[in-house]
Amino acid sequence: MIIKGGFVCDPKNGILGEEMDICIECGKIVEKSVGGDVIDARGMLVLPGGVDAHAHIAGAKVNSGRIMRPEDGRRGIEPRTKLLRPSTGYTVPNCYAMGYRYARLGYTTAFEAATPILESRHTHEELEEIPIVDKGALTLFGNNWEVLECVRDGDLEKLAAFVAWGLRASRGYGVKVVNPGGGEAWGFGGNVKGIDDPVPNFGVTPREIIRYLMRANEILGLPHSVHLHTNNLGKPGNYETTLETLKAVEDITASRDRQVLHVTHMQFSAYGGTGWRDFESKAPEIAEYFNHHDQFTMDMGQLIFGSATTMTADAPLEYGNARLLHAKWSNHDIELEESSGVVPLVYGRKMPINAIQWAIGLELALLTKNPWQVIMTTDHPNGGPFVNYPEVVTLLMSRVKREEELKSLHELASKRSSLPSIEREMDWNDIAIVTRAAPARILGLSEKGHLGVGADGDVTIFDINPADVDPSKDHRKVKEALAKARYTIKAGEVVVRDGDITAVPQGRTYWVDASVPEDQAEKVRADLVEKFAKYYSIQMSNYMVQDAYVTHPRVVKAGVI
Amino acid sequence: MRKIVIVPRREFRVPVEAERISPDVFAPLAIEEIGKIEVWEGNRKTALSDLFEVSGDDVPAKPEETLISLSGDFSKVKRVGENMTRGRIAAEGDLGMHAGNGMSGGEIEIEGRAGDWLGREMRGGKITVLGEAGDYVGAGYRGESCGMRGGEILIEGSAGDYLGEHLCGGTITVLGNAGDFPGIANRGGVITIGGNAHLPGAEMASGTITIKGRAKVLPSYQYLETVEIDGLSLKKFFGDLVDNGKGELYAASVEDGGA
Repeated sequence: MIIKGGFVCDPKNGILGEEMDICIECGKIVEKSVGGDVIDARGMLVLPGGVDAHAHIAGAKVNSGRIMRPEDGRRGIEPRTKLLRPSTGYTVPNCYAMGYRYARLGYTTAFEAATPILESRHTHEELEEIPIVDKGALTLFGNNWEVLECVRDGDLEKLAAFVAWGLRASRGYGVKVVNPGGGEAWGFGGNVKGIDDPVPNFGVTPREIIRYLMRANEILGLPHSVHLHTNNLGKPGNYETTLETLKAVEDITASRDRQVLHVTHMQFSAYGGTGWRDFESKAPEIAEYFNHHDQFTMDMGQLIFGSATTMTADAPLEYGNARLLHAKWSNHDIELEESSGVVPLVYGRKMPINAIQWAIGLELALLTKNPWQVIMTTDHPNGGPFVNYPEVVTLLMSRVKREEELKSLHELASKRSSLPSIEREMDWNDIAIVTRAAPARILGLSEKGHLGVGADGDVTIFDINPADVDPSKDHRKVKEALAKARYTIKAGEVVVRDGDITAVPQGRTYWVDASVPEDQAEKVRADLVEKFAKYYSIQMSNYMVQDAYVTHPRVVKAGVI
Repeated sequence: MRKIVIVPRREFRVPVEAERISPDVFAPLAIEEIGKIEVWEGNRKTALSDLFEVSGDDVPAKPEETLISLSGDFSKVKRVGENMTRGRIAAEGDLGMHAGNGMSGGEIEIEGRAGDWLGREMRGGKITVLGEAGDYVGAGYRGESCGMRGGEILIEGSAGDYLGEHLCGGTITVLGNAGDFPGIANRGGVITIGGNAHLPGAEMASGTITIKGRAKVLPSYQYLETVEIDGLSLKKFFGDLVDNGKGELYAASVEDGGA
């Protein structure tokens, strides 16, 4: 296949908007095409396939959201066709809709952001049903008893061995840490209040948990860094905890050419104020810190007005949300591993807090100078559903659009954030970085997010001519074009043409197989035998994710040996 | 007024989904075009004229000057008048479930019995039922936090269970009795029941429920006083206290266990 004459942005390979041809053979980008389809992309924008590094798209909490929200299922209904199965839902779509909607937006890779090992079979069952895109899941470690015990005992080697085992048991891709220690404390109705607040019954602090897991992550040389949801997330004044956390790990170095820590959905962790009354943005402080510390990355967690379904392993946070908003609430205890919660809510333009939150996400992306450090997400469906990515891109590209939006919001969005004064408008290369190249780099996916020879043949073509269209003024045109890819090509196959799905291939599932010394693995096994005998409600043989659950695996090797 | 008459060609054994029977849809169309409108009988897509005889004035008119007359048994025909904004629908007999879903204006008159979910999530307009009505009149569908937000429903007969569930506005008047849990989770609507009712106003946050007959009142309601309204002596209650509610409940007489 050859894609001829498009306006190509491939920032990883230094191609910043050049007219050129892209060739794909056997699912990979190659120098020269030997035949096949010819796609005329003259006057169109050609980007690598989109990569979503953080979204909640599969597993038990997504399904809890669906069960709690039959009213959400009624939104976004699309009947089946000869090719497609039926779609339902807006914030918590069914599995098929996830794949179709990502593909229509030009996304070809999406990672589920949090799965407890215990519920990973469910996660993979749903991932298997999400068509088209390649996917993976990050495994939760931040409140796991075995982790807390290794930290308490100061046994870093054993912790690394457990992380490797946990990734294999869950067929997971990376280490996710959510409100470290807080999920365990929630089992007793409590929470941790800061990074030095000890976890009940274990005596370890969030600071120690984060540091140990980061060091274990680097010992194993995992493709992705630790992926952190900070303590005190969602609370006024939490930017101090966020900065304290980052300062606490400044001395740790990455074992690979990537960040040493990814702080996720930063919008929820960049709040000032002593309470909701004097709530304000502290995004400039966070961005300033990132501008001087290039070993850290973040994603936006941009808020989208309208319906959202919050879902997180941060169960005490969800309890707070449910009480504050008098909303539906699901609370879940995941045995020795985590707790979690789900609360549907509506973000309102005229709600002062929501309007400021909206501004914070944009401030973070625009004030952080290096686009490789801050990637675009909505923390789907916590900040809002991923189908709104075109809206976020236009906000990043157009100050005109931001000013229009600010007019319709509560005035505090302008008064309690620096957004009105920000002039920066991203260009197409910036957008290619924050939606493609940077998420791929942050996840450690070397064959994703770029169009160099050897990369996966994942390409998006948008019906927009950067020579004619000024994204600042013509933001409506940009949004329209991004919502319906002219072509989405997945592994060399056209899966979307003119916004319609044309093929439904099964994507691959990434997981990391990390090796550890046998003596350490043995120590972990001995502990786990005891834990399953004493505490777990199921047996270990029913716990591990077997190969049958991952029919199209892409195994990435890592580890100490 | 332009009148369009629809008569079923036969008895339906499975439900017919006919959400496009609405003055807004019919108004600009000639009779022949109306006949081509898509409806579903069970899982089979078909044309309106395959199931119904369509006749009447052929000249298009504005929706507000359009009357759709339903003649015959429509008890299995669902979603008639969905999202209508103007005009009139008159059913000479029974009308099936979900009539007047989300309507925001216009009028629906049902001379017979109305099925379940009558006027669910309606926003405006008026529905009148001369016979009885089923369950969930003016309610929100599964999971919704708001049912009816505005408009008026009058039922001259009795209504089923969960009358006005999650009412967020509008008025519902039942001249007969209501079943279990009328006005459950009321958030600002007004319900008047001429006859008796069982456990009204559970989880009511705000709004008013008046029962002119006998009511079994929940123990989570606080009795305040007896008041005279329109010549009727009514006991006034406050609740639902389980949910810190500030709703008003009036009942002419109370079954034991109440006040």
